[in-house]
Amino acid sequence: MATDLGAIEAQLNQAFPGAVIDRDGDWLVIEASRLPTVAQYLRDEMGYDWLTHLSASDYPDRFEVVYNLYSSRPDQQGPGIPFKVRVPDKANPHVPSLTSIWKSADFQEREVWDMFGIRFDGHPNLKRILLWEGFAGHPLRKDWHEPYYEQEHKPFPSRWPHAQQPKPRSAEERVRWRANVQYPQGFDPDQWKPVPEIDVLPAAKIDLNGLETDQVYVNIGPQHPSTHGVLRMIVGLNGETVTSIYPVLGHLHRNHEKIGERNLWTGIIPYTDRLDYVCPMYNNFGYVVAVERLMGQEVPERAEYLRVIMGELTRVINHLLAIGFQFNELGAMFTPMIYAFTEREHVLDLFEEASGARMMVNYYRFGGVARDVSDDWLKRCRKVVDRLDRKIDEFDTMLSDNEIFIARARGVGAMSWQEMVNYGVTGPVLRSAGLKYDIRKVEPYSIYDTFDFEVPTFETGDIYDRYRQRMAEARESVKILRQALDRIPARGPIQAGKKPWNPKVPAGELYSRVEHPKGELGFYLVSDGGTNPYRYHVRSPSFVNLGALEAMSVGHLFADAIVILGSIDITLGEVDR
Amino acid sequence: MLSDYHFIGVFVLVAIAFPFLALGIAWLLRPKKPNPVKTAIYECGLETIGDAWVRFRAQYYIYALIFVAFDVEAVFLFPWAVAYHRVGLWALAEVFLFLGILTIGLVYAWRKGALRWQ
Amino acid sequence: MDWVTDFWIPVIKAIVVVLALLVGGAYMTWGERKLCARFQVRYGPNRAGPFGILQPLADAVKAIFKEEIVPHHVDKAIYLMSPGISFAAVLITFAVIPFGPQIDLLGRQIGLWIGDLQVGLLYLLAIAGLGSYGIVLGGWSSNNKYSLLGALRATAQMISYELPMGLALLSVVVLAGTLNLNRIVDFQGQWPLIVWQPLGFLIFFIAILAESNRSPFDLPETENELISGFMTEYGGIKFALYFIAEYTAMVVNSAIVATLFLGGWKWPAVLSNLHPLAGVALFLAKVLVVLFLYVWVRASCPRVRYDKFMRFCWKFLMPLAWVNLAVTAVIVALI
Repeated sequence: MATDLGAIEAQLNQAFPGAVIDRDGDWLVIEASRLPTVAQYLRDEMGYDWLTHLSASDYPDRFEVVYNLYSSRPDQQGPGIPFKVRVPDKANPHVPSLTSIWKSADFQEREVWDMFGIRFDGHPNLKRILLWEGFAGHPLRKDWHEPYYEQEHKPFPSRWPHAQQPKPRSAEERVRWRANVQYPQGFDPDQWKPVPEIDVLPAAKIDLNGLETDQVYVNIGPQHPSTHGVLRMIVGLNGETVTSIYPVLGHLHRNHEKIGERNLWTGIIPYTDRLDYVCPMYNNFGYVVAVERLMGQEVPERAEYLRVIMGELTRVINHLLAIGFQFNELGAMFTPMIYAFTEREHVLDLFEEASGARMMVNYYRFGGVARDVSDDWLKRCRKVVDRLDRKIDEFDTMLSDNEIFIARARGVGAMSWQEMVNYGVTGPVLRSAGLKYDIRKVEPYSIYDTFDFEVPTFETGDIYDRYRQRMAEARESVKILRQALDRIPARGPIQAGKKPWNPKVPAGELYSRVEHPKGELGFYLVSDGGTNPYRYHVRSPSFVNLGALEAMSVGHLFADAIVILGSIDITLGEVDR
Repeated sequence: MLSDYHFIGVFVLVAIAFPFLALGIAWLLRPKKPNPVKTAIYECGLETIGDAWVRFRAQYYIYALIFVAFDVEAVFLFPWAVAYHRVGLWALAEVFLFLGILTIGLVYAWRKGALRWQ
Repeated sequence: MDWVTDFWIPVIKAIVVVLALLVGGAYMTWGERKLCARFQVRYGPNRAGPFGILQPLADAVKAIFKEEIVPHHVDKAIYLMSPGISFAAVLITFAVIPFGPQIDLLGRQIGLWIGDLQVGLLYLLAIAGLGSYGIVLGGWSSNNKYSLLGALRATAQMISYELPMGLALLSVVVLAGTLNLNRIVDFQGQWPLIVWQPLGFLIFFIAILAESNRSPFDLPETENELISGFMTEYGGIKFALYFIAEYTAMVVNSAIVATLFLGGWKWPAVLSNLHPLAGVALFLAKVLVVLFLYVWVRASCPRVRYDKFMRFCWKFLMPLAWVNLAVTAVIVALI
């Protein structure tokens, strides 16, 4: 899956002698001090203009900050350049920030600072992003232990003999809650105010034709009807016009990644369901594809078809729901949303029969899927697909020409695809601005390369185009579903070999991405050859796409900001992880 | 005719009494256990940034100013409309003149950008 | 002083009408929820009584027993008064609307209206302006940014849409030659005014949608942006008053539309002449039709954005109403 890294390494060595200090598997290791210049060169001279993933991992002797560059140029879309920076100074880690080159680095660098305590020099606003200021320590460091810490990773040893003792029976009883709350040095929770971000907000006076007006800051969320969960935005308003938006994340944070590192490789699959709870199937998909790439695992044909069928059903309902919510935010009083939910129910019925659960499906396995489906299921699936096809047309006739919708959506939230690439925006939002980029096409996984489908694009990337984009993509998904249902082998294994209960994954490190309905869903995995991941990171599309919210919204009206947020289509389970 | 105003007067009193009666009954029946968190300002569950009683954008008030001019116009038009059958064509010409002047006012406000949201 | 005519009749009439409006408003909440549910392929309220018919009662009981929360930062007197003002203003509007002919009750002639004013239409316009006070004061006194934005929007919106509304009414007056609502109803004995004034009807309907803050013009309370707009800080009975004021306003506005454009209780005369109460039934039926329109619009239209909404008023609806008035005047002069 790698690009010709040798050639790139040679080119870099020629331009910057000594900048590439090592080659670690598929990763180039770049000297930290020269990172910005090399990155600038990669972006401007070599066309790798797209920093989609930035993360870090903690090793006993060093930190590593990893970057994944991709290109939007049609000739070199596909595999990108993975490179990393080693930070041996564990006491006081520093890395130059890339925010001046890629705006997509903003949120992700803040996340790394939050989780690992690595400082990014030159970052304009290096603050905790998912955790609050009163959190002691950086939880993804290996030496950080949570309050009820029992063991480094699962499977935990049996609690048998002492579980029978009268007391204490569990970690919860052994350590009382209060004693476990830690605060950083000099932090007083009673003095803490949840508005520390005020100092990043611009000055609070606006002078307009000699009329002085006060700047008003309004909290939107976390308890708000249209933030899709517990997102908080501090919106600066001048009258009705938005002057700034500062998203505050983390209200739903549960440190998915630490849970993952404690867990077995297999045990993570049900946790991925909870990332983007609107499309659990696709989260499973992304995760098992990543692990299979590490393991070199083959998947039987019938299982691949089932995976694609589940995945594309998810995409259709995600897009219909996104459109429904969009109209809800436009004030259409739930009507299109409830119509969309009706369709979702039909798909969830299928999921329930196949996997046993409607939402938390836990369906994909390494090398296959959990359960086979009956012929009857396939027949009903075909009926549902036909129905979805009809319903997409129905949505189209009902919504596309609505005068008020067009008036509100045209030109609102528009952004060029070049700028979106700089913000790391992926998925339907990016394609609606005109860049034909779909991971199913440029870096095919599973059996997507055998299907005949188009990657629709639109021109302006405004809300109306995003709406049309989702409509068009749902249609393409229906096309894929039809082909898959036609071609799926009637019988066959759904699991390569026997079901892995607790597989060992060969040591290695990779970043693997799939085209999730909301954008690029990436998994960065490091294995030390054991039964649980050494490092497990989710690059979620919603989180990175949210970074472009302010740029899309400023200058529009208050009402538009809400709609733009809706049109980015975020799920907080995935943003906050 | 006086009795009609009399009827309306009684009706107005009853109509005003009703909501306040409802407020009073509820005041007698409901529990009241305030605490600082309950009575805090609502802003999505967080402490507010700054005050709400501030100098806000003037845009809203510009409409109010224009409105006053045009509402007075509407008041003048009502007697004309009632008497229209009796005064005939002459009134028509007169009112067109009146409306014309006001239209100039609207066009002026329009051109001046007072009707544009900014 | 005749106690019966001077005291008991007005008081009983007033109480009956107020109660009827209250029940009408309460059941409008139920009706809207039922209808919206139908538009959205769901059931709607169906637990309290058959078809959920007791739902408004349950809601009322809940609102009355709910704990009072008066936020500590509000302007208390105004804050407490505003819902009452809002509701009272809506009720008072109904005073000049005739909802039936004069009937013979226990030997006394009783007109099915509260007051038969010569300046009935002016009264309507004047009181309609009062309604915005409840909203503006409530929103401002809450000292909450959502409320403040809602209140400011309400101010500009409600006064702006009074102009096209007034102009649409002027066209009616030019045709009918009177401000008295009873005379206007009489005028429509043959044909309802909507036949002569289809454009006037549309303008008026849009304007009252805006006046009563109904979707797609519910900008002062836009749930998706301002939580509840001007009533964000209100709970319990105070919220219920605002809520029922909105729905009663819908009923009253529908009654105005029915009276001015749909022929009131009189048209078609064939039916209203059958029995005095047939007129009342006719009137009710028309009110229900207009109410259905209200809900229909709400269930199908996205909300208009604020700037476009104001632009629509001043740059489209106003000139249109003007032209409509001028054309009406010319035609009346020529005939």
